[in-house]
Amino acid sequence: MTDRLGSGSERLDAVLGGGLPLHGITLVMGRPGTGKTILAQQYLFHNATADHPALYLSTVSEPLEKILRYGQSLDYFDPAALGSRVLYEDLGQRLNADGLPGVLTRITELLKQRRPGLMVIDSFTALPAYAPDAGAYRRFLHDLAGRLSALPITSFWVGEYDGAQVSSAPEFAVADAIVALSTDRRSERETRALQIFKLRGSGFLSGRHAYRLSQRGLEVFPRLADPVQFDGPARTPERMSSGVPALDAMLSDGYWRGASTLVAGPSGVGKTLLALHFAFAGAARRETSLITTFQENPTQLERIVNGFGWSLRDPAIELMYRTPVDMYLDEWVYEVLDRIERTGAKRLIIDSLGDLKAAAADEQRFREYLYSLLQRCARANISTIMTQEVAGLFGVTRLSEHGISHLSDNVVLLQFLRGDSELKRAMTVLKTRGSAHRQEIRRYDITAEGILPCDTFASDQDLT
Amino acid sequence: MTARDAGIYSIGAVAKMLGVSVQTLRAWEDRYKQVVPSRSPGGHRLYSRDDIEQLRFILERTEAGLQAADAHRLLAEQGHARADPGAGGSRSGQPGADPERFAVLVAERDPFAAEFADYFLRTEGYAVHVVLDVAEAEQTLDSSTPQVVVIDLMISGGAGLGLCRAVRARGAIPVLAVSPVDCRDAAVDAGADAFLPKPVEPLQFVSAVRDLLGTSGYLRSDGASR
Repeated sequence: MTDRLGSGSERLDAVLGGGLPLHGITLVMGRPGTGKTILAQQYLFHNATADHPALYLSTVSEPLEKILRYGQSLDYFDPAALGSRVLYEDLGQRLNADGLPGVLTRITELLKQRRPGLMVIDSFTALPAYAPDAGAYRRFLHDLAGRLSALPITSFWVGEYDGAQVSSAPEFAVADAIVALSTDRRSERETRALQIFKLRGSGFLSGRHAYRLSQRGLEVFPRLADPVQFDGPARTPERMSSGVPALDAMLSDGYWRGASTLVAGPSGVGKTLLALHFAFAGAARRETSLITTFQENPTQLERIVNGFGWSLRDPAIELMYRTPVDMYLDEWVYEVLDRIERTGAKRLIIDSLGDLKAAAADEQRFREYLYSLLQRCARANISTIMTQEVAGLFGVTRLSEHGISHLSDNVVLLQFLRGDSELKRAMTVLKTRGSAHRQEIRRYDITAEGILPCDTFASDQDLT
Repeated sequence: MTARDAGIYSIGAVAKMLGVSVQTLRAWEDRYKQVVPSRSPGGHRLYSRDDIEQLRFILERTEAGLQAADAHRLLAEQGHARADPGAGGSRSGQPGADPERFAVLVAERDPFAAEFADYFLRTEGYAVHVVLDVAEAEQTLDSSTPQVVVIDLMISGGAGLGLCRAVRARGAIPVLAVSPVDCRDAAVDAGADAFLPKPVEPLQFVSAVRDLLGTSGYLRSDGASR
C-alpha cells in the first residue's frame, strides 16, 4: 500500500481505497461538462499548503479567466489561497510559441522555483496536436513523467479522452491512476457516474459510482454492493411487538429485533398503517424510528397519524420525506444511513418500495442498493419494515416486489376480500425466518385505534 | 508523514552533529525517555529533525550548567513543541557557514532527479558534482574528496550500498543515502549517516545535506569544537 492523497471527501476516498496515489500521476478523463476541472480543483484546494503549493496549468482548450470565474462560485474555492497556496498559470501562449519543448521547459522552471506539491495540467488532450509525430509526443510524455517522478508531487492530467483511448493513448500507460467521469441520459433523467479504471498500489471500489455536481463540488455516492449475508452476526434473541397484538400472535410473539419485514398489499388496505404501528410502538418505548416516505408530505402524514392518536412531533419519530420526482436512489440511501447514524434509530420504515424503485436508474441497481441497505441495517440490529403495493384490488396472485421478499425475514400480506355484501380486510403471514408462524388468514378492521383484528373468517368465506 | 517528523539520521551522524557521544545519547534516551528516536524495521535508531532540535535544547541547558535530568524535565515542561523549526531562513545566514567550500558529490541513477538535486543544492550555494553511475563516482572519489556524498542506492543496477561501503572505507565522508525502496537498515548497515526516501522533498534534502556538512543551525560554530 502506497501513501495516499485525500480528497477531503470520505466517500470519494472510500471509492479510491483510501485516496489517490501520493506523488503519482492521475489521469482524469471525461467529456466536457462532466466535472473534471471541479474534481482536480477540489484536490488542489484541499491539499495545497504554502510550503507545498498547487499549480494549475491551463493549456489551450479553456481560457484561464473562465476557469477562475466559474471556480469561484464553488464552496472549496478560496480566493485567499490564490497566489500563495494555489497558483494558476496559462501555458497556452508558451505552447503556441514553442510547442511541447517550451511547455516542458516552463514546467521544469516552475517545479524548481515553486516546488509544488500538486500540479494540474488542464487540458492534456490539447497537447498531442503540438507534437510533430507520435514519437515526439511519447518523448515529451517520458520527459514530463520523469521530471514529475523525481519530485514529491502529485499531478493530475485532465483531458477529454474517450473510452477507446484508454487502451491506445500512451498517457494511460504512464498514469498511476485513471478516474473516468461520464454522464448517462435515460428517459430525461441524467445520471453521472465516476469509475476508477486503474489505481496503482491498492484496491478500489469497482463499478460505476453515482456523483453529483453542486455548489459543494463533486459529491460521490459509492456504489453500495455489500455481500449478501443471510447469517449475519448472532442477533440478540429479542422479540419486538409489531404494535398489533394479533399479528404478534401470528408471528409467534412479534418480529425478531433486526429483522426485515415486507408488508405487501393493494392500495388502501392499510400497509402504511401497519408500518406506523411498529414505529409508534417503538416510540412508546423511546426507541427512535426513521420513517421514510414519498407519498404523503409531513402535513398530510401528520393528519393521518393524528387520526390514530399519534403525532410525528414525538421525539422518537424521525421523518424523512422526499418526492420521488428527481430523487436519486444512491443519494437517498446515503441520507438514510446518515440519518440512522445521527439519530440512533433502531427502526426503519420504507414507504414504499415502488416509489423508491422509480428513483433508481435500473432494476439491478435498485436491488443492489436495497440489499445493501437491508444488510447494513441487519448488521446494526435495526428492524426494517418496507411496504409494497401489489397490482389488483382482489385475489393477489404474485408479489411483484423485485425479489425483495427473498431477502426479507418476514412477509406479511394484506388483502381485500368480498363476502356478505361487504369489503373485508385480511392479514396473512406468508413467511417468517427463524421462527414458526401460524398458517392462518385473519380478518382485521381499521378503526380510530388502528388495526384491530377480528376473528378468523367463517368457513364459507371466499379466500381467493 | 511530514518532513519534520520522519527519522532520517543515524545515531552516529547525530552524535557528530551535536558533538556528544553515542553513549550519552543512548543513556539519555534510556534514563529520561524524552527524546526517543524512531526505529527502522531492523532496529536502528533514526532521529528526526525534531529529535535533534530537542537534543540541542537539552545540550544548551547542560552547557549552561544544568544537570541533564533537569534539562530533560525542562524539555518535558516546555512541551516538545518548542522551537519552531522554521528556521529555513535563519540557517542559511549562519556565521561561519561558507557553502562554497563544500563539494557535494551526487551519485544518482535518475538524470531527472540528478538535475533537481543539482539545482536545489546549487541554489543554496553548494558546489555540486553529479555522476550517474558507480564507476564515475569511484573515479571522482579517486581524484577529489567531497565533503558529503549523496548516493542513490539504486544506482548502477542497485550498486548503491556497495558505494556507501566504499565511501565509508575511504574515511569519514558523511553519506546521505536515498532510495525509492525503504532500505534504511541496509543503508545504515552499509555506513550511511542518513537516509531519505525518494522522491526527496527539496527542503528536506537540502537540510539533510546541510546537517551532514555541519553547517546547519543545529551546529553552531562553538559546537564544532565540543
